[in-house]
Amino acid sequence: MIRLFLRHTEPAGRRPLRYLLLAAGLLLALALPWLIYPPVAMDIASWALFAAALDLLLGYTGLLSFGHAAFWGTSAYAAGLIAIHSGLPFPVAVLGGALLAAALAVPIGYLCVRNSGIYFAMVTLAFAQMIYFVANQWRSLTGGENGLQGIPRELLGLDLSDPFVFYYAGLPIVLLGLWGLWRIVHSPFGHVLVAIRDNPARARAIGYPVERYKLLAFVLSAALSGLAGGLFAISHGFASLQEVNWTTSGKAVMMVVLGGIGSLWGSTLGAALVVQLEDYLSTAGFDGIGIVTGTVFVLVVLLFRQGLWGAGRQLGAAAGRARRRRPKPPAATEAAPVPTPTTREEAAWTPSPRG
Amino acid sequence: MRTTIRAVTAVLATGGLLVAGCGRGGPGGGGDEKVSGGKIVLAVLNDQSGVYADLSGRNSVEAVRMAVADFQAKYGDRAVTKNIEVVTADHQNKPDIANSKAQELYDRQQADVILDVPTSSAALAVANVAKAKKKLYFNIGAATTELTGKQCNKYTFHYAYDTYMLANGTGSAVTKEGGKNWYIVYPDYAFGQDMQKSFTAAITAAGGKVLAKDPTPFPNDNFSTFLLKAPAMNPRPDVLGTMQAGGDLVNLVKQYNEFKLRDKGIKLSVGLMFITDIHSLGPDAFAGTTFTDAWYWNFDDRNRQWADRFTAKTRTRPSFAHAANYSAAMQYLEAVQRAGTDAADAVVGRLEGYSYDDVFARNATVRAEDHRVVHDVYLAEVKPKSEVKTDWDYERILRTIPAAEAFRPVGTGGCAL
Amino acid sequence: MSGFLQQCFNGLVSGGFYALLALGLAVIFGMLGVVNFAHGAFFMLGAFGAYVALAEFGVPFWAALVAVPALLFLFGAVLERTLIRRLVPFDPLYNFLLTFGLTLVLQDLVKREYGVQSQPYPRPAELSGSLDLGLFDYPAYQVFVLAAAVLLCLAVWLILTRTRVGMVVRAATERPELTRALGVNVGRWVTPVFAFGVALAGLAGVLAAPMRAVNPLMGADLIIAVFAVVVIGGLGSVFGSVLAGFAIGLVQSLGNLYVPALSQTLIFIIMAGVLLWRPAGLFGREEART
Repeated sequence: MIRLFLRHTEPAGRRPLRYLLLAAGLLLALALPWLIYPPVAMDIASWALFAAALDLLLGYTGLLSFGHAAFWGTSAYAAGLIAIHSGLPFPVAVLGGALLAAALAVPIGYLCVRNSGIYFAMVTLAFAQMIYFVANQWRSLTGGENGLQGIPRELLGLDLSDPFVFYYAGLPIVLLGLWGLWRIVHSPFGHVLVAIRDNPARARAIGYPVERYKLLAFVLSAALSGLAGGLFAISHGFASLQEVNWTTSGKAVMMVVLGGIGSLWGSTLGAALVVQLEDYLSTAGFDGIGIVTGTVFVLVVLLFRQGLWGAGRQLGAAAGRARRRRPKPPAATEAAPVPTPTTREEAAWTPSPRG
Repeated sequence: MRTTIRAVTAVLATGGLLVAGCGRGGPGGGGDEKVSGGKIVLAVLNDQSGVYADLSGRNSVEAVRMAVADFQAKYGDRAVTKNIEVVTADHQNKPDIANSKAQELYDRQQADVILDVPTSSAALAVANVAKAKKKLYFNIGAATTELTGKQCNKYTFHYAYDTYMLANGTGSAVTKEGGKNWYIVYPDYAFGQDMQKSFTAAITAAGGKVLAKDPTPFPNDNFSTFLLKAPAMNPRPDVLGTMQAGGDLVNLVKQYNEFKLRDKGIKLSVGLMFITDIHSLGPDAFAGTTFTDAWYWNFDDRNRQWADRFTAKTRTRPSFAHAANYSAAMQYLEAVQRAGTDAADAVVGRLEGYSYDDVFARNATVRAEDHRVVHDVYLAEVKPKSEVKTDWDYERILRTIPAAEAFRPVGTGGCAL
Repeated sequence: MSGFLQQCFNGLVSGGFYALLALGLAVIFGMLGVVNFAHGAFFMLGAFGAYVALAEFGVPFWAALVAVPALLFLFGAVLERTLIRRLVPFDPLYNFLLTFGLTLVLQDLVKREYGVQSQPYPRPAELSGSLDLGLFDYPAYQVFVLAAAVLLCLAVWLILTRTRVGMVVRAATERPELTRALGVNVGRWVTPVFAFGVALAGLAGVLAAPMRAVNPLMGADLIIAVFAVVVIGGLGSVFGSVLAGFAIGLVQSLGNLYVPALSQTLIFIIMAGVLLWRPAGLFGREEART
């Protein structure tokens, strides 16, 4: 039965399209600081990795974590502290932060993965709030409300003070992280996660230790969120309580849902949109950011549950079908580089007994 | 597939290095104009949608516009330039947005100075941007003494108030007036901890005693634990010193009144209070409370005249932050005028050690040693409602704390400029 | 000794708010399988409703205590009919996300209209004094709040156990599949139950207005703690949620006094312990977790 998930074949004719898309995405990533303000470009890159890492849980494992700020923020502080006190190159600091985030994810994940669905969301949110309070009180380490300021950017004596230059120094870390995620979701491990998402009881019956798989996914997701958070702290030169606040978790969830659950492209797209929107609203003279983002979010949840990427993909698929006049179920005409066995939103999460 | 990925990574890495190596041209030269880009740009970066929106927010932008108009009226054709712009951005109290926006304001909008920036983490982040970009920055909205302490820099000036000034003014004055025994409750985060330390130092120096000090959760909505402890203490404290701010302060004061501590002989002294707090809870809730204010609109005729002009534009009375934004903008423009250029180093040179007196900053000096702007501040008491004559007429100024005593002495903050 | 008892009393007053909010969450969850993230926002709307009623229309506290929850009941009913209902056929997480988005919108709408400063709301004159409770004096208003919270929880308990509506709701809460299988028409109770939960949050908000800071963020601060409370009590259990609400209030109040350094993290530490021991919460059942 599980072989079904491993088989993942795509129509051979679609492959060039996928590489075309990949090339276009990379080109865009490289050109980004020429198109928009470089610090904002770096923010988009960091958030894209964060959102994609969150999607590993939400889209591929069926777990909604509302507390990922704990990992993003812990790594931000840790990377900052390493950079300040050791003078090591910044990628080392970021990696150190990611490892600490992963270590923190082990006990939290252990407690959380015993629950699923809505319980999981609430419990992760609560634990993240605990991390927030700890960061707030542990002032000697985190700087408390003042934040951890003056984080240096060290890399083999290069001058990285220009955000334009730093973007290209930081981008490889983001791409590496995204590539890692891509490998994870396409590995046999990733397919088991999808199997667990779609039917945990069946996966358990086949003999997979479901909890252990979920925990591993949780830790991997936390580590990659940490990679993003550490990079974010280095790029801004500080880490603050904002990084561990629940609104940061909410923002990441929003990006994933907006872009499209279960697609790394979607998460990236969602991150770009939300960061740009916030940036735009801060000078637009409209003091109701929550009204705009909240309304957009509500509309997406009500009307486009597959997200913008999913909606676009469906349109593309429909167009392709019409051209070839060869009707196929949507699952088989996956055009995106992230094929999932099921794309309909009803199946994107653990089926609820309360249907 | 694997080879493809490897190839892509390689291309990417080379591409990245290439692009990084080429870089971009520097900012366009300003030619022989006196001011860069032919204009002076003042940027107000503050919270226009969150907890500090009422205290400062958009109305501070209005105050800065008033300063520009006054400057232009004063110098007319003699002004270093007639072309002065005011731009603004909302940092939403998020330090990362403050950081990006500050860079953008300096780089893209050619801001010569950034003003305001409440929230300590955002304030310190922007100080680092100012240092890196070598552009001026007047902080008004944040209270942290770090700005003129370990994290001070050549381009950052701290204008209106700080935790030392708030604590020192209230702590020593109230102790000298007979409130010898104190019980301090403070929110357990950086601001509260700093305030508590400064208060304790000021009280001890003035001959008083801190019987106990308790950290409280933050945010918190139930202070009964601490309010019940106070009257049970032996000896009973004369003063309850609270370092809470914003919504927590409102909670605490509501409950202080409920437990009737004032009737039990325990006065309330507040570390950080803004006139907007009094306005929101009504003067009766705070009546008799003492605190230190950086400026009060109804203090004298000079303040009232300015406040009337401000009110005509904004339909609200100015807080100290509005007046301080006006004053800082004005003093920046005056310094540019004296320097004859907006080149940052020259303007900093004209500001350091400069003494002046304006509607906000009385007997003011810009300290060269740490860029603390010192000025007279005021010990205030909240009037009972029966004595409030007009809207926003909430404070009685008990005494003026002279500039020389009001702020942290030079050399004790760890600033090396 | 009397000091200790006073602290316990304090804890129960805070616990009353936790209990009222947790109760509403639990009932809504039971009926719809939805965890309402916007519960904190409804609490805030209740407090603001009381403030606006007094400041703009001169409606006194006692009238607001009835009128504001009634309005929120209508608001909740409309919300359920227009938005929540559409997502019930899908995974319950969508409704969690929907109510998260609603929270942002409601918070910022209130913020735009009234600013972020806390709004003044006086205590009702009848309850402005303090009461002699034998061992100690205590503010009358807080005694009233505690009594109101306990009575409301009891009343809801009676409705749930003694009426037909209550039996349907309880059956649907505790054994949803079985209830449906037995042919009970759960559907027609969905809207009133959701609206009732919203009204209950609003009522807690009105009760909070005279003793807490009325500002747009007052609910957001509270809701995460309430989530921890229902996780501790067991989300599927109405009784567990209420009990955990009071208990957590008590523990927090004593924590403030004896271990101030832990006062904020205490609730989450307890939650971690409960999860370790009983993943479904103290009174929850395993199948309610998915």
